[in-house]
Amino acid sequence: MFQSVEEVQQRFREARYIASRRVATVVYLAARMGRPVLIEGPAGVGKTELAKTLSDVTGRRLIRLQCYEGLDEGKALYEWKYAKQLLYTQLLRERIGELIADAPSLPEAVGKIAGQEDAFFSFRFLSPRPLLQAILADEPVVLLVDEIDKAEPEFEAFLLEVLSDFQVSVPELGTVRAKHIPLVVLTSNNARELSDGLKRRCLHLFIDFPPPADELAIIRLKVPEVPAELAKAVVNAVQKIRAMDLRKLPSVSESLDWARSLVILNAQELDPAIVESTLSMLVKHEKDLERVRGALDKVLAE
Amino acid sequence: MDRRILEFIGDLRRAEIRVSPSEALDALAASAEVGLGDRDTFRTALASTLVKESRDLATFDRLFNLYFLDLQALGEGVKKALGPEDPRVRELLDRMLAEEGLELDDLTELLLRGQGSEMEMAIRASGQGAGLERLMYFLQVGFFSRRLADRFDWSAVEADLERILRLLEERGLDPGQLARIRNYLELRLEAFKRMIRQHVERELERRAWRQGEKLMREALSDKPLFALTADEIAQMKNVVARLARKIKDALALRQRQEHRGRIDTRRTTRKSLQYDGVPMEIHLRRRHREKPKLITICDVSDSVRNASRFMLQLVWSLQECFSRVRSYAFVSEIAEVTQAFNTYPVERAIEWALKGAPIDYHCRSDFGYAFSRFARTELDALDRKTTILVLGDARNNYNDPQAWALRLIRERVKGIIWLNPEGQWGWGIGDSVMPMYAPACDYVRECRTVAQLGEVVDTLVHRWWRKGR
Repeated sequence: MFQSVEEVQQRFREARYIASRRVATVVYLAARMGRPVLIEGPAGVGKTELAKTLSDVTGRRLIRLQCYEGLDEGKALYEWKYAKQLLYTQLLRERIGELIADAPSLPEAVGKIAGQEDAFFSFRFLSPRPLLQAILADEPVVLLVDEIDKAEPEFEAFLLEVLSDFQVSVPELGTVRAKHIPLVVLTSNNARELSDGLKRRCLHLFIDFPPPADELAIIRLKVPEVPAELAKAVVNAVQKIRAMDLRKLPSVSESLDWARSLVILNAQELDPAIVESTLSMLVKHEKDLERVRGALDKVLAE
Repeated sequence: MDRRILEFIGDLRRAEIRVSPSEALDALAASAEVGLGDRDTFRTALASTLVKESRDLATFDRLFNLYFLDLQALGEGVKKALGPEDPRVRELLDRMLAEEGLELDDLTELLLRGQGSEMEMAIRASGQGAGLERLMYFLQVGFFSRRLADRFDWSAVEADLERILRLLEERGLDPGQLARIRNYLELRLEAFKRMIRQHVERELERRAWRQGEKLMREALSDKPLFALTADEIAQMKNVVARLARKIKDALALRQRQEHRGRIDTRRTTRKSLQYDGVPMEIHLRRRHREKPKLITICDVSDSVRNASRFMLQLVWSLQECFSRVRSYAFVSEIAEVTQAFNTYPVERAIEWALKGAPIDYHCRSDFGYAFSRFARTELDALDRKTTILVLGDARNNYNDPQAWALRLIRERVKGIIWLNPEGQWGWGIGDSVMPMYAPACDYVRECRTVAQLGEVVDTLVHRWWRKGR
């Protein structure tokens, strides 16, 4: 898939994602070793985006499983379409009658119906959810398990089982084994500690806020309309704000939003008035906002 | 190389980073994939397979730098230490050695021509069997450096050097140049010996890293709080933070046991419609464990300030384990300090509560007055879900204890837990009125050390609010 770390970096860049050497190395290793990647880091630094870009770059379909509290196997793996099965049984009542018409005794009638069971427990009546989709897929895919920390620990244990041998057993159908090992990306915002087993299984990647140079590159790449000088000023201000003691630090996605809104407002430079009125794009807590406003001259200083 | 990586993993484990055998295998596979060409790539390969907690990354980086030396940078460093190399001297030496076809010892060869990185490799190789694993204290550095140096055959080197100089003399070199060459050789010899010592020092640092910290942590946890020095208080903050994380992690695991409960008829019926009214899937009404409301009342007078500090830190780091936390501070006048915690980060809020709250910090403790004021102003805000955590030594300076106030408060709340930073033997002696307050409390615990504090809060988070449900 990739021949070298440089190639990963190169191709991600072409897909408009600036991957640091570290990120590229882990992606390269994951592809070579067939291991899932667990990405941790603050919200909005491009964890989910990494998986999307990976699917773009490799030309593989992206299958996404968004985790939330209460997610269970039924919603993640597969569900029988009971209603459809019932409906078919109703519709086929006559055929079933014919089938057992010549059965001399009850046990034999049951036996005959049992002989047809496969018709009802087949893939026709199975609705595959993301995990099974990833396993059944005919061509290799990228599986994104987003915000795994939101799901319960049991689900994590179950996921671990699926991820360690990429096979699933559906009692009525037998074991389904993956045709291709999918590239798996898990993301976590660290709402709770993940189990050791899962961590052990995965390659671990911590993505932090990017260094100023990278952030500038990201802004220039994603918001090409923004003038070079303004982009630099934005990065400078964001760095200063991140150094402050805030509840929620502005992330890359927020600095991109900010840059975009500055472009819409046709700003040429960061003057206090325009910063004041657009600051809420960057800082989302009322208390934080007050503090940043109070230190605005420091933030805007070169 | 594999052996080096495994040794490095041993170092990580000594530094309390958990590495399982399967992760070790992954690390070997990953390093084989990326090779050693690029140091940063190699570092990432090891980090992503071995370190699964972002908080361990700093330790990893530090150990990595100690263990996998940046040989390129090192070579540069040695070059700098040796001073600008005299190209003429080198050339002369080279030419002469080629002409005469001298058979030199390997070590001499290394000294004459070697780069810093090659020297480092030679030293490391000779250190393999030198028993460096017994290196534990700084005082041993000299001993081990000598021991390592002794493993090289210096007599051969000296003989070689003598031979070279004699040869040069015979060829009629002028004394000035001869001195320069002698100087050059001696410098290199000295640099090499210095490198041996540095190697041993680094080895010591590698081994001792974090070991000391761990010992200190254990010692600190059991040290009486009033006896802490300013330095120790700073270190203790990390200890308490670690404790908070431990309690929180344990809680996350325990919450999974909450999945039992009564049948939820509404959802079960709704789901059964899909199956012709047959309740195929049973939905259970999830029991919501109620998180306790917590009110902490801290004595912030000098004698127990440290205990209050750490209790506040622990409780506020565990905020999400409680549905609401409120804190009060008193010496004699009592004031709510919750707003500071809502505005500032925990550490700053604690400093404010201990020094800046609107109360007089310099008067004598008066528990009775504080409780009566609290009962008068806050009684209506209390309910049966609230647990009160009092921290104080109950040394009332012979004031009226006003135990009725505490009893009144007790009637309104779920329970009162009293933490006393003074040893149990002192309760009731002198001006201690602990025995008078104790009947109104559900628990009274001695809380002289952070370890004891941790136990109490752990009980509070995990067991206390199950009671009486």
